[in-house]
Amino acid sequence: MTEDLIKQFTTKYEFLRGFTHVAADAAEAADIAASIIKEVEGQRVALGDLPDKMMQIFEERCWEDEVEVIKPPYNRSDLPDLIDKAHVGISWTKFAIAETGSLVEVNTDDSLRLVSLLPRVHVGILMAENLVKTLPEAAPRLRDFFSSKPSNAVVTFISGPSRTGDIEMRLTLGVHGPEVSHAIVIRGKNGSA
Amino acid sequence: MASQRYALLEEKIERAIKAKPQRDALYRAMKRGRDSRDESIDLLPGGKEFFKEVTATKHRCLEQQDELLEKFANKVRERGASVFMAEDGPAAIDYILKIARERGAKIVGKSKSLTSEEIEVNKPLEEAGLEVIETDLGELIIQKVGQKPYHLVFPSVHITAPEVAKIFRKATGKEVPDDIDGIMKVVRKYLRPIFMNADIGMTGANVGIAETGAIVIETNEGNARMVSSIPNVHICIMGIEKIVDTFEDAMQMMLAHPISAIGQHLTTYVTLMGGRSPLGDGGAAGSRESHIIILDNGRTRMREDPVFKDALNCIRCGACMNICPTSGVVGGHTFGHIYPGPMGIPWTSEVHGLEKAGDFAPLCISCGLCREICPVDIDLPFMIAEVKDRDSQAHPHPTVDRVMMAAEVFAKMGSFTAPVSNWLLSNWIFRLLMEKTIGVDRRRELPAFRWQTLVKRFKKRGPSPVSNPVRKAVYFVDLYANYNAPELGMAAVEQMEKRNCQVALPEQKGCGYPYVAYGNLKKARKAAEDNIGLLASYVEQGYDVVTTEPTAAYALKKSYPKLLPNRDEVRKVAERTYQLFEYLELLDAQTPSDTEPATPLKGRKFGFHIPCHQRPLGSGSQTIAYLRKLGAEVQVVENGTCCGMAGTFGMKKGMLGYELSQTVGEPLFELFKEADIDIILTESSVCAIHLTEGTRIELKHPLEIIVDES
Repeated sequence: MTEDLIKQFTTKYEFLRGFTHVAADAAEAADIAASIIKEVEGQRVALGDLPDKMMQIFEERCWEDEVEVIKPPYNRSDLPDLIDKAHVGISWTKFAIAETGSLVEVNTDDSLRLVSLLPRVHVGILMAENLVKTLPEAAPRLRDFFSSKPSNAVVTFISGPSRTGDIEMRLTLGVHGPEVSHAIVIRGKNGSA
Repeated sequence: MASQRYALLEEKIERAIKAKPQRDALYRAMKRGRDSRDESIDLLPGGKEFFKEVTATKHRCLEQQDELLEKFANKVRERGASVFMAEDGPAAIDYILKIARERGAKIVGKSKSLTSEEIEVNKPLEEAGLEVIETDLGELIIQKVGQKPYHLVFPSVHITAPEVAKIFRKATGKEVPDDIDGIMKVVRKYLRPIFMNADIGMTGANVGIAETGAIVIETNEGNARMVSSIPNVHICIMGIEKIVDTFEDAMQMMLAHPISAIGQHLTTYVTLMGGRSPLGDGGAAGSRESHIIILDNGRTRMREDPVFKDALNCIRCGACMNICPTSGVVGGHTFGHIYPGPMGIPWTSEVHGLEKAGDFAPLCISCGLCREICPVDIDLPFMIAEVKDRDSQAHPHPTVDRVMMAAEVFAKMGSFTAPVSNWLLSNWIFRLLMEKTIGVDRRRELPAFRWQTLVKRFKKRGPSPVSNPVRKAVYFVDLYANYNAPELGMAAVEQMEKRNCQVALPEQKGCGYPYVAYGNLKKARKAAEDNIGLLASYVEQGYDVVTTEPTAAYALKKSYPKLLPNRDEVRKVAERTYQLFEYLELLDAQTPSDTEPATPLKGRKFGFHIPCHQRPLGSGSQTIAYLRKLGAEVQVVENGTCCGMAGTFGMKKGMLGYELSQTVGEPLFELFKEADIDIILTESSVCAIHLTEGTRIELKHPLEIIVDES
């Protein structure tokens, strides 16, 4: 079942000009992220609100390659420039929709939205167990999130890299947001695997 | 005064027709939009049924609007954002200016918002000293050249890459390559500091969710994410009608918008934003704010208007623009005020005034295709007819339109005076006079009139020879088969009788569709009343109604129920109306024969043209199936839109008639010329004239083919 959802998600995400990877656990995911960073010669990486254990794994993996890491909590006074200067943004995905190829991020701090928005290269981290099949299945999850946050709450669906067809209808990537968008699906449980 | 208004419109049409590269770009964009839309609908689990659900949701939410509005506003406030109910544009603008002044704002970064364009927000803000930058690439391009959107979804589709490069050379003062990838790099660099430094981020909202007080913003580029996250002040302008009840409703809209617009299942980014989040740690509390401006600007009044109420269902997908034949030639600068295309006519009338809508409403040729493509079932052709009708109170119809609406009178006269009338029609001096006086283009080949009309002929022949019929049918002829082609009409009668159907052909009137097309609804209703009066009495006696002219069937099935709403006899006539070929099939099925069906049309190759009014009636599938059963090879030749004739529109002299009609028809003419066919078939008498002139390929009514062979 999960395998079918993974297949459906990755197929759609790639159709939308994104790149996908499947990792057995957080350590493998961090290796994949490291190779993406290397490929684009990234020297500074912005991390989103990854679960603590995973944060540590990713951070350590970046240090190994001498890549500078910036991570939340971000200071208001450094923003938005701090994240803008990152070459790669690695963000945490609450859940994803297989049918539409959409990563769904939920936030209560706009600095975290910038991680998947400002850097030229975006990497979204997703736990396979958090894949749902259809868009309507997102509705109850969104309801839960918004009702648990009586004041501010922001949800972002991300389906591939930033795109436009505004010049001669030609599909072009990265006009404002990321030009390159990766999704890493982790099979293990709870981000601690 | 009326003539001056038309002269201006004609000038604009002429310019648009001459701008071939722009026309071609628009044509490609529209076709791409339609094709990918169809593909993506096929991928949906429920296919087209999905849009029915969306329509039901829209209807439900509009019914409960007052309640949902209150709920939404309360929830937004509970989340700490502000709500401002703006009666109209100036009220919204004052509110924005007040905020800008209080915050000492200098730069406003905007993401695409049609509602903000509706109230023309940029100009007053710029006059107040603010720098307002559109950040959607297409909108930015047209902002730089001071234009309005050429298309609802593709605002800058008419501007080529080298032209865009030139625009950014001027904007940046730096070298910009002519290639699209190169331009993108420049644009990214150019806009980034604006995103970083904007004091106010302004967005629209595609949906407002009442149950939670969140707005939904959909973009592909990600610019709305930028302007809704970085600046301290966020302002959203949305129309009241965007509010839905639940998350489930919102998910439907999120899916419906891009599917119907460009065949994408979701836009790349969809943001649901409730309240106002901080940006990182520290910073003064309360320095981050969000203001939701809910705009009325005529919408409440619209909801009370039985004709325009449904226009509030509009999801701004632009699909109607992707199929409208004339908008597809002239573009949104000519076919539109601020809201362009078919939906632009009722919306302009309601939010910018009837006068503005009337300026471009004559561009609608009433083909009805916008109604067919509309995902939320808005009866745009009828609304547009209403706009034309209301507009004619202040600006009486020009002579040529009055002549076209009185086509029946002329047909009668022409028939009564034939063959003199035909001699005159073939005389170039007379045609020149006709062009000068009543505005009928002298190049148009008009069909000859027949002295002995079909009704006269039928009467003379005596009663129907069928004594023990399987069905009874009253033939609703309309003008052409009666005044110009009585043999064709008789052939229809004989084919029905041959299948043991008793046919009645009483004295009758034309269907009156030109009154709808040019907007004289009083006369349209009169024609409908007359015909329903006659036909309903037959239906009461167990007769079916049969037509050979697609527009006549369309009038009975689609237009009359709108013109004469909630009337049982109208509904019954509509239900019992058939097009000839589906009726012949029905008759054949009632008298099954043991013999193998003959295939006399084997080896014949036909190109079938679907008249627009036939599309909602099965797109000619019944006729095609019938011909194929007889062995014919039938290929539908189409480019997905109208041939351009549109009844009598293509007979009118000038840009708003013959010229535009020809330009619309060109791509279809080419397709027919390239097709491997011997004969063109179509059931519409007017499309027939246009296609014959445009292709010089032999053309027949399908009935003539089966008669030849029987």
